[in-house]
Order: sequence, then structure tokens, then C-alpha cells
Amino acid sequence: MNILKLIRSSSVLGAVGALTVLLFGGWSGAVIGWLLGTGMGYMSSQTKLIANPKTGAQIGGTAGLGLGIWLLVASLLEGLLLLPLSGRPAIPFGTALLFGLAGLGLAVLSAVLMAAFQGLANPAQKQATRLTLAFVLLIFPFADQIAQTGWIATVIQIQIFAILALGLNIPVGYAGLLDLGYAAFFAIGAYTTGMLSSAHLGIEWNFWIVIWIAAAVAAIAGIILGAPTLPLRGDYLAIVTLGFGEIIPIVFRNLTEIKITEPISSLLATLLNRPELAICLVGCTEPFNLTNGETGINPIGRPSLPIVGTFGTSPFPWYYLVLLLVVFSMFMIGRLRDSRLGRAWAAIREDELAASAMGINRVSTKLLAFAMGATFSGFAGAFYAAYITAIFPSVFDFSVSVIILCMVILGGLGNMTGVLLGCIIIMAADRLYLPKLAEVLKGILNTSVLPNISSPALRDFITTSLDPIQMRLFLFGLVLVIMMIVRPEGLVPSAQRRAELHEPDPAANDSLADVRSAG
Amino acid sequence: MLELVDVHSYYGNIEALKGISLSVKTGEVVTLIGSNGAGKTTTLRTIQGLLRPKQGRILFEGRDLGTISTEEIVRLGIAQSPEGRMIFPRMTVLENLEMGAFQRRDRPGIKSDLEHVFGLFPRLKERIAQKGGTLSGGEQQMLAIGRALMARPRLLLLDEPSMGLAPMLVSQIFSIIQEISAEGMTILLVEQNARMALTVADRGYVLQTGEIVLTGDAKALQVNETVRKAYLGEA
Repeated sequence: MNILKLIRSSSVLGAVGALTVLLFGGWSGAVIGWLLGTGMGYMSSQTKLIANPKTGAQIGGTAGLGLGIWLLVASLLEGLLLLPLSGRPAIPFGTALLFGLAGLGLAVLSAVLMAAFQGLANPAQKQATRLTLAFVLLIFPFADQIAQTGWIATVIQIQIFAILALGLNIPVGYAGLLDLGYAAFFAIGAYTTGMLSSAHLGIEWNFWIVIWIAAAVAAIAGIILGAPTLPLRGDYLAIVTLGFGEIIPIVFRNLTEIKITEPISSLLATLLNRPELAICLVGCTEPFNLTNGETGINPIGRPSLPIVGTFGTSPFPWYYLVLLLVVFSMFMIGRLRDSRLGRAWAAIREDELAASAMGINRVSTKLLAFAMGATFSGFAGAFYAAYITAIFPSVFDFSVSVIILCMVILGGLGNMTGVLLGCIIIMAADRLYLPKLAEVLKGILNTSVLPNISSPALRDFITTSLDPIQMRLFLFGLVLVIMMIVRPEGLVPSAQRRAELHEPDPAANDSLADVRSAG
Repeated sequence: MLELVDVHSYYGNIEALKGISLSVKTGEVVTLIGSNGAGKTTTLRTIQGLLRPKQGRILFEGRDLGTISTEEIVRLGIAQSPEGRMIFPRMTVLENLEMGAFQRRDRPGIKSDLEHVFGLFPRLKERIAQKGGTLSGGEQQMLAIGRALMARPRLLLLDEPSMGLAPMLVSQIFSIIQEISAEGMTILLVEQNARMALTVADRGYVLQTGEIVLTGDAKALQVNETVRKAYLGEA
């Protein structure tokens, strides 16, 4: 049973690795082998076969080898078969073999190392695992640069969404308040940054100050959203948050021609029909343009640090900054979850009336759930605005809220590891694999398939319908439907959800147990 | 200890309590009996501030509860085991009990009260790590009472502890209520099972469609003609 589990996870990771190699080629196998090997080593501890570092290394080595063979085969296939098929020159057998062996070697090595650490006694095991993970995360940009995989920009995007998903997990996962308009807080954080650190309004404050202001403004917006939804539950709450999410981008789109006059004097002016009496407050000579509408705010100031200088086109400083933000968010959210407030959230989620009978303040507990969730999207928004250096209202529409919610649900509601995993899977599939798949597929079609088809109608049909980018939402929906059938509790569920969805029905248990205890 | 003076409560426009006056003295067990929809649960909710009275006063040790929040009321020492038990189904037994002590911060006190609850309900200790929702009805009732006790209340409100339980379990629960009372707890017990309620109570009130129609010593009520006919099912 345990061995089967190991084989299964090794083949799943192997397939992912092989797909990566087939699509990206080159040294990507080495990088993905290193990443997946580390993951494989960690997962092999779940087989419970590891007793000490030695057995750990053996099991890790076996699993790593299983994974590495996928990479090797994929590397040879890609270099010798796939490249010529898509019209590019094949690479020599020796080079393809070298790429493959590098992937295999790194997969085995990192799996052995990580699995061996899993065999250590408890405090050492935890520390070694953490250090390895920290090492992988810190060294990744260099590996990416050396191997020329070009993944780092996507990884930064993944991390931005990781902060968002972790933040949304607070109201939805912990407090059970379904929020369908979470992108609004992201927008508020980004726009606050845009307005406070760009030439657009002439306010160019330092990013390190603005990011805190953005978080605070988002938190206040969270309370503003929370207040009218207090008496609402379930579907009704979802509808209100949905509306909020729709309103905010529209507001930012339309705040371009603001003119405010002092109300009493303007009333007087209308009554007496003497417009010169109205005292103008804002936008007197020409209408005040706060958000610059559809064109957005651009450029937005970038952070700078003493030694690094102003963050520029090099992804390195951005990567470490967003990594820091993710780690900070995880730490803070973990502390919140285990605090009194976190327990109050759980109680509210379970039964609101019972919770208030326990002396939990429903109002502040719910408002804080929205506010805390919004705070982290404020951080994400501030970073996003500074990183992209331009923001438009269309970036924050409903689909963003939905995607973040999907990450939370796919990964496992209420579980931080699960939410992160959900985020990585969805973002990597959406931003990394799908575009590359489209590119490779197009290459193959153009060189090997289309020239052999004589009918122009059929040729047209194939080029238009076989575009994975266009099937993006379909594929996405398909995955969600399958997940909800196969694993409704998410990839890494919190213990409570698992119990709820996979234990026998408590109501059915009830009467039986009653009889037992009575007898 | 607790005094209700002419309390009126509404659900929307429907007047659920039409001027209730009752009192509970320290150390007493007082029961509120009546049929479905008489306003028993409403009375308890109003006392705990989950429902606000439109008129009348609720005094707890001389303080008016009418304007203070439920948290404050819990902190003052009124805890409730609600109707239908309302335990947290996805939390373990231990987590449920800890939620009961949410307002308290004295860790050693909470710990000793936990032992006390486990002493009263050894069954809960056996199931300490089990999810609340997977307990049997009787165990859930024990958990709900135990959870209320974890607030270390001075007044314990019990709402229909016998609801939906087998007769064996009902007498078990009632003997535990007697045990809690013997330790000096003041209890306001709401029940449909008038016979059991009147055996453990010192005094009783009979509630009918939002009004108190009868009051007296529990012993006197047990032999009262009206009570016997309407609530004890005797001809």
C-alpha cells in the first residue's frame, strides 16, 4: 500500500517533469528535476517506511530514480523527435543525453538528500526540511538564470497570487464567509500605491511607506464591505461581495472627471439662480482626474534599497521582495489562525448563534475576518503596482476573484499548504505551461501537419480550433469539475473538511450510538 | 440573583413574550415549563441578550442586562446550553469545551474546570479527540452542558436538555443536573418534560403563549390540577 503510494506520487511528479522537459527543453529538466526531486523526497516521508536517514536515502533514491527516468526519456524525445517535428533543428544525441542525465542526476540527488533528512529525529528533521526549502527558494533565481529557463517572471506572479490566495483563505477558509469580490481589495491596494507613488497626482512617496498605507486602506475597505454584510449568510453574502467586486473596478474606471462643490452654497446658487455663488472645492478650473480611467496610472514608482539601488528590470530584487512578503504573510496568518481571534473565526464558521452564546462578538469577529483578508491583498496590490509599474481597472475584474477562490478551494479550504499548492498549480498551468504548449503545438502543426493537408477548409479548422489558449477556461472548468467529484476537500484538506466529507454521516450514527449508550 | 420584570420580546412583529416576570435566587433550581411555542427558549435568549426586550427589565445581581452585549453578559456569569445543543460539529470535544471558556483568560482555572467537567461526564473524556458532530445525541447534550460550565457561570441556563433523548439518558442527564446543583450552581431549567423538571427543581413557572400562568413550589406544582392535566398527561 505504502509502496504503491510512492510509485503513484513518483509517476505523477514524473509526468509533470516530463511535460516540462517536452515543452521547454534544454536545461529545464535539470531545474525541474531539482525542484520535483526535493518535493519527492519530502513526500516519501508520508509512506512511513523511513526509519532513519539511511532508509530515507534508499527510499528517496528509488523514488528519485523513478522520477529521473521520466526526465531522461522526455529529454531524448524532445531533443531528437519533437524539435525536428516543430521545424527546429534536432540537437545531437550526446547533448540530449547530457540534458536528460542532468535532470536524472539532480532529481535523484535532491530526493536522496531530502528523504534522508526525513529520517532524522523530530526537531532536527523539521529544521533540515525547512533549511532545504529555504535553500531551494533562495537559490532558485540563480538556477533559473544559469539554466536559462526564464521562469522567474512567472514565479513572481505566482507569489503575488499566493499572497492573495492566503489572504482570501482568511474569510473563506477560516471564518466561512464566502467572498466573491476579493479582487476589489487587490485593486484598492494597487490603486492606493498608484496614486501615492506616481507623477500622476504629483505624490511620489517611498514604496516602503506606501505599501503599509495600501494595506491599511485595503483593511478599511474590508471593514466597509463587511459592515453591510453582517446580518447576511451564505448565498446572500456571496451576492453582496460579488457586487462590491464589480463596483470597485468601475469606480476606478470612472473617477476621471471629479468636480465637487460645497453643498450649501451650491444649493443656494441653484435656488437663487446665481451659479457664481457656488463654492468649488475640487476640480475647479478643470475636472479632477483621480484614476486616469481606462488608460490607468503609469508609471508607478519603484522601491529602492541602499545597496541594491532602485529595483529595475532585473527580476532578482523583485523575487526576493515578494518571497519575503509571502513568508511574512504565512507567518502572520498562521499566528492569527492560532490566536483567540482565529478560534472565534472557527466558531462563527461552525455555528454563529452558538458562537455568540459563548460570548464571541459576532460583529467584530466577522469584520476582522474581512479586514485581515483584505490587508494581505493590500500588500499584494502594492507590490503588483510597483512591479508592473502600470495599473488598469480591467486587470481586477471578476475573473480574478474567481481564480483566487479556485486556488483556495482546489488546494484545500482552510489549509495554508493546500492553498499554496492550489495557487502554484493553477498559476503555473495558466501562465507557464499553457502558453508554451500553444507555442509548441503551433510549431508542430505548421511544419509537420498542415503542409500535408490539402483541403484549405480543414487546415483552417485545425489552426483555429487547436489553440490551448482559447480552451483555457474550458480546461480550467474541466479540472474543477473533476476535482469536485474526486476530491471535494481539495488537494491538501484541513483535517476538519476531510472529516466532514469522508466520515460516515453523523446523523446516521446518532441513533445507533444512542441505543448503545442507553443499553 | 436574576429578576425579570414585565419583559416583552418580539420576533419581528410577533409578540413572543407578553410581559414575563420571574426571579431566580442564588443556589436555586428554577424550572420554566410549558408546551411548544410558549416562549421558553425566547425567555432564555432574551436573558442572554441574543434577543432584546422591547419593554421590561432584566436584572442580574442588580445590573440591568437590557443594554449590555452578550459577551458582557457571558462575562458577568450567565452561560447557556442552548436548545438543540448547537455544539460545533467540526470541532473536537476538547475544542468545543475550550470554546465555552472563550471569555476567560485564566489558564490554570480553565484547566481545573476541564477536569471538573470530565469528572461530571467521564464519557466526554473518552471521546476527547472526537468531532462534536459524530457524537451521539446524549453525548452532544453532555458536551453542550459541559461547554456552558466551562464559562464558570454563576447562573446556568439549560434549554431542553431532555430533547430527543432516550428515557434512560434523560434520567442520566437529570441526575447530573442535580449533581451540578448540589455543588451550589444556580440553574434556570427550561423543559417540556415537566415531570422530570419538577422533580429536580425547587420552584417552577408555567408558561403559556408568552405569559406566566402559574407559579409555585415544584412540589406544589406537581400536584396542581391544571399542571397534572396539561403537562403531566394525567387525567
